[in-house]
This record gives sequence, C-alpha cells and structure tokens, in this order.
Amino acid sequence: MIRSTENRYGKTLYTLFPGDYFATGEDCILGTVTGACACVCLYDNGRRLGGMGHFIVPGMIGTEGIFADDIATQGITSMEYLIGEIVKLGGDRKYLKAKLFGVARLNSRLSDMEGVIKSNIRFLKEYFSLERIPVETEDIGGMNRRQVLFYPTAGTAMRRFQRRNDDASEFVRIEQEYIDTMFRNKPRYGKVYLFE
Amino acid sequence: MKHILVIDDSPTIRVSVEFTIKKLGYQIRQAENGKDALEKIAEIQKAGDDIALCICDVNMPVMDGITFIREFRKTDKFTPVLVLTTESENEKVSAGREAGASGWIIKPFQPAELLKIVEKFIR
Repeated sequence: MIRSTENRYGKTLYTLFPGDYFATGEDCILGTVTGACACVCLYDNGRRLGGMGHFIVPGMIGTEGIFADDIATQGITSMEYLIGEIVKLGGDRKYLKAKLFGVARLNSRLSDMEGVIKSNIRFLKEYFSLERIPVETEDIGGMNRRQVLFYPTAGTAMRRFQRRNDDASEFVRIEQEYIDTMFRNKPRYGKVYLFE
Repeated sequence: MKHILVIDDSPTIRVSVEFTIKKLGYQIRQAENGKDALEKIAEIQKAGDDIALCICDVNMPVMDGITFIREFRKTDKFTPVLVLTTESENEKVSAGREAGASGWIIKPFQPAELLKIVEKFIR
C-alpha cells in the first residue's frame, strides 16, 4: 500500500495493491485498480470508518458451502483481516455495509477462468449473505478492469472502467503476480500455540 | 449434557467451526461476543449442564476475547479456552496466555487440526 498526500483529490490517498487490506477512520480516499480480484469496500456509517480489501479466492469452491471449503477459507480469512481492523477501530460487523467491485473475466493464465470467476462471485454472495452485511453496490463480473475510489468515512465509492485492460500496467503486473502466487501455493493455515 | 461454546462476531466463522467439530457429538452453542458468551455460560450452568470447552475470537465488539477469558477465569480456572483469531503478534499471544487461554490458533485453521486439538482438550 502506498500513502500519498499530493494528488488531485485534495485528501490523503491510500493506494491498495492486490492482497492488501486497510481500515481507517481518517477522512481520506482508498483507491485501487482491480481486474480478476475482488475489491471489497466496507463502512460503518454510525462510527464513520471503513476499509477496503483486495483479494482473490484461489480456486473452485465445492458444493457444500463456503464455510466447509478449504479454498473459500482463504477468502473468509481475507475478509476476517479487513473486518478485524474495522472492529479494532471501534466498528461493529452488525452495522457494516458493503460495496463490491471487480471479479472481471480477464485473466487468461487461469486454466479454468470461468470456473474461478464464478467461484469468486459465489463466494462474495454467500459470504455477505451469511454475515448478514447489506451489499449496497454489486458491480462485479464483466470484461473490464476497474479503478475504484472509496471514501471510508462517508461510504461513497466511485468506479471507472479502464478503457483498455492493459492501462494501469503496474497494477496489471502486480495483480498477475499475486494471482500466480495464490494459485501456486497450497492453502496456507495459521500457526498453533498450545499452552497446556 | 456437555456444551462447546463458539464465540465469534462472524456468523461465517461460527458456522464453519461448528461444521468442523459437530462430529464430536457435543452440544454446540454460539455467542457473538464476550458478554454474550458469559450470559450463555450462565444459562447453560443454570440448566445444570457443563461447558466442556470455549473457542473464542479476539477482536469482537462489546467485549473482546481477552477480556472474556479474564472474566471467565474469575469463576472457572479449568475449562479449556482456545483462542481462534487472525491476531499473530507475540504481545497478543502473551496477553492471551496470561489471561488464561489454553491455546492460540491463528486463522485460517485447518479443519482436521482444529478437530484434533479440540479432542485433545475435551478428553
């Protein structure tokens, strides 16, 4: 993530890259460019804070449901990190609202792109339904890379389709590297410490 | 009847943990924060039942996991409490241990491993 104060928006801009998540109560802008990855914007209007996460569920989800699936667990954990940061700032999951962007069909290196895209869309729908977090904007799928700007304290988001999918080439490269890494690695699990 | 209490503000995590450990045959109860958990424990004990184990998150609104463990340990020194969290900093792990946690599991958890740990503690 990069923080910049000198930009055209007149507010501090935090630029998130694939795999990043960030939550804040600062009057600022969170921005990213997303292709096949999901960009999740969350905000707690009462407490005027919010955050953004940029991630992909690396594979196909089975039939039992996201709560019983190893691949989906990686997505659940990405959401847990983001929501955990919001809760640490004083936010409450019960009052969160979501705006969803991305998951475009444009990653030709994935062997079953359509299946992965469908799994990611399904993950977002099932996750927010299970969490009972209202989704105010669902701008997912399609064939184009999106630039997203999010005002976390107001909950306002702006989206612009990239005219050409190879615009913002830095993001294209980083997203490709992130997706390759996520698909190459086996599901990662956290450490365990037993005290007794 | 023996109960396992799953404490997390995320319904997805609660359902996921319950799905993983339900095969142990215990009654699984869910709570959405530390305060809710203390109320559920009082209810269970009032009904004459026992708590076999608690699995709790750290970052929760109303009452966080570390505060819950401290409160719970005032009256119960022995029932195992496993922390299941995204928090991995050493200071947090130490705070959990000092509060009286029996173990600290960092998300994402491997279902087979969680099942094995729970079995070890309730045996």
